[in-house]
Amino acid sequence: MTALTAIRREDLAPAFNQDLNGILHLLTCGSVDDGKSTLIGRLLWDASDLYDDQRETINRSSNAATGGAHPDFSLLLDGLVAEREQGITIDIAWRYFDTATRRFVVIDSPGHEQYTRNMASGASHADVAIMLVDARHGVKRQTRRHAAILDIVGVKRVVLAVNKMDLADWSQDKFRAIEADFRELTLRFGFREAIAIPVSAVGGDNVARRSEHMPWYTGPHLLEHLERIPPRDITPRGSFRLPVQTVLRDGLDFRGLAGTVASGCISVGDRVTDALSGQSAHVLRIATMDRDLEIAKQGQAVALQLDTDIDVARGAILSAADAPPTVAAHLEARAVWLWETPFDPNAGYFLRTATDLAPISTLSITSLLDLETLAVQPADKASVNDIANIWITLGRPVAVDTFVDNQGTGAFLIIDAVTGASVAGGVITTARAGAVDDASAFRLTRELLSRGLCRDLADSDEDRREFQRRASEAALLLHAAGIQVKIEL
Amino acid sequence: MSAPLSHLDMLEAESIYIFREAAAQFRKPVLMYSIGKDSTVLLHLARKAFWPQKPPFPLLHIDTTWKFKDMIAFRDKTVRDFGLDLIVHTNEEGLKKGINPYDYSPSVYTDVMKTQPLKQALDKHGFDAAFGGARRDEESSRAKERVFSFRAAGHRWDPRRQRPEMWNLLNGRLGAGETVRVFPLSNWTERDVWRYIAREKLDVVPLYFAAKRPTIVRNGQLLVVDDDRLPLQPGEVPQMKSVRFRTLGCWPLTAAVPSTAADLDSVVEETLGARTSERQGRLIDHDQTGAMERKKQEGYF
Repeated sequence: MTALTAIRREDLAPAFNQDLNGILHLLTCGSVDDGKSTLIGRLLWDASDLYDDQRETINRSSNAATGGAHPDFSLLLDGLVAEREQGITIDIAWRYFDTATRRFVVIDSPGHEQYTRNMASGASHADVAIMLVDARHGVKRQTRRHAAILDIVGVKRVVLAVNKMDLADWSQDKFRAIEADFRELTLRFGFREAIAIPVSAVGGDNVARRSEHMPWYTGPHLLEHLERIPPRDITPRGSFRLPVQTVLRDGLDFRGLAGTVASGCISVGDRVTDALSGQSAHVLRIATMDRDLEIAKQGQAVALQLDTDIDVARGAILSAADAPPTVAAHLEARAVWLWETPFDPNAGYFLRTATDLAPISTLSITSLLDLETLAVQPADKASVNDIANIWITLGRPVAVDTFVDNQGTGAFLIIDAVTGASVAGGVITTARAGAVDDASAFRLTRELLSRGLCRDLADSDEDRREFQRRASEAALLLHAAGIQVKIEL
Repeated sequence: MSAPLSHLDMLEAESIYIFREAAAQFRKPVLMYSIGKDSTVLLHLARKAFWPQKPPFPLLHIDTTWKFKDMIAFRDKTVRDFGLDLIVHTNEEGLKKGINPYDYSPSVYTDVMKTQPLKQALDKHGFDAAFGGARRDEESSRAKERVFSFRAAGHRWDPRRQRPEMWNLLNGRLGAGETVRVFPLSNWTERDVWRYIAREKLDVVPLYFAAKRPTIVRNGQLLVVDDDRLPLQPGEVPQMKSVRFRTLGCWPLTAAVPSTAADLDSVVEETLGARTSERQGRLIDHDQTGAMERKKQEGYF
């Protein structure tokens, strides 16, 4: 029936000490009925080591759906009963498979416009995106919309899978025309790599093996291309950043600033700075449970012990002393509105950065992206699935980078202060240094809080965190009552 | 310069990050410890995340009273060895009513002896976050899960009300009565779990290794008889066979597989070469279509 298992089991051995070449996160997106689930199902069916019982289940349930002509590969993806009933994908599904050399994580995202926010959410995790189009219809509004979102959330590599070539007479002309449209579209964005591949997901043509029907296509098939993409994380890029998650202690001797290196690397003896407090120290130890490290690099979870006990807690970002992040209270950003409740200028919101949570004094929408024309239109409202340019003024400064400089410290969530929902996700385009400058704002000072609300708190890390929390909540309450607040802690 | 991070290194770092985020953001977390291999990896990662401190939360074991004796012994030894706090909770009401895994359907049994007591225990102690070892590769409704899986008051899971998760930013803000299930192993596969157990040389329950055990075949499934509570049907005589388990649950509901893999290397070898998925031996998953999805909506982890 099908050419099974391009990757043979014996190639996977020797078993447990086999180390895969990193992890590649792969997003699939496209309009409804372009055959996304089928394409990924096909990739799993042909190139991964699916279990026998999973193959049987597909074979069994397919007979009804497809008249037995071929297995219904999409059944490997649509997991929820509601999705199967409606035959659509509502939310992202995560799939994992290994080829001989590579761990693939497939993030299958919904095609429906009304679930664009879920697509954006999935895209933010991807290293590469496969955009699907139907060979008979070519590049559409939804393709443009998705390209814009991929660009915003930082996906640098895209593949256009021109699907259903079998229904387009395997026509080279049709493919070349679509490829040209795609090229024009991608030139508008900052992608590092964009290629188009003609495929038939149902037949498996150019998915995990070369198609006999399209001898005119000489490029790589999909799997071949994906296996060639360098894994995330080979070389540490950018300046050192460690957002501090928590402080770990061991008696009096050890105070470890625990976190995951967001970018760059750090060695024992290096000088690090906390931009928020302006304090610096040298790295004395890079500690983990297994052993101390000489060097910690991007992606590693560690605890740094410094030679001077500087006052650093969750929310701080440790950086190389000569290239700190910006301490900013005014941000410009691009954001996707994720929640059903539209933006409300009178609601209370928090800004969630890498590990910090700061109250927002003012949030304003300046423009929306028109997804038809990709032009920017002035606006002051945003609702679900909108892509907006926004201005943010914070109640106190936070340490951030612009997203182009540093993905890990340049992205944020906007959180509704009352419901706790993540209402928007975005990337910082401009971070302006300096404190809150509104002269008419109410000054919520450390002294004021220590005198009353926080009188019961001492000087431990936990109490300091609680102090921050109360200060934020107090600022929000004041803000909700219509008072501009400036936090001075 | 050191070598690039392997895929296991990346998974480990991601899990540690998740543990630290949850511990920083939630008021009172707990680790759901069910003694199996995933729990073993989960606990090991928790120890790494907070080392040199102990994990800043207790373990919670929902004891249905039908766990294998070897599992309980392993649980108690683990808690002792690492000096951890353990809370054991059983649904006494269900026990009194005699809800057992052979007279009742798997869905009734799971609801009364697993889902209800989990909710009881979380409510009783006021836990707002519970770490679990669930993986997205286990089952199709789990493939949709968030890392912070938001539960409305009353522990209800509504797939349409889940919070989007962008980049690695995790949002742990909760209102009154709301809770979260945290899944640090979301992106691990069964094979990763075994590779990691081998790499880190972790102890697991001996039931994962092949040994001669008293078995019966019922409804096409190979069961190991752990005590004399399960009424034998006419013609059922326990036979000694060399078997082991890929997954561990309540013994009358968890099928064994014939195997001679008696040490870690051969178990890992066998798992990586397996032809059937792990949860095929879990009877509670196959009770009805969408069984897991429904159980999750009702509050099962």
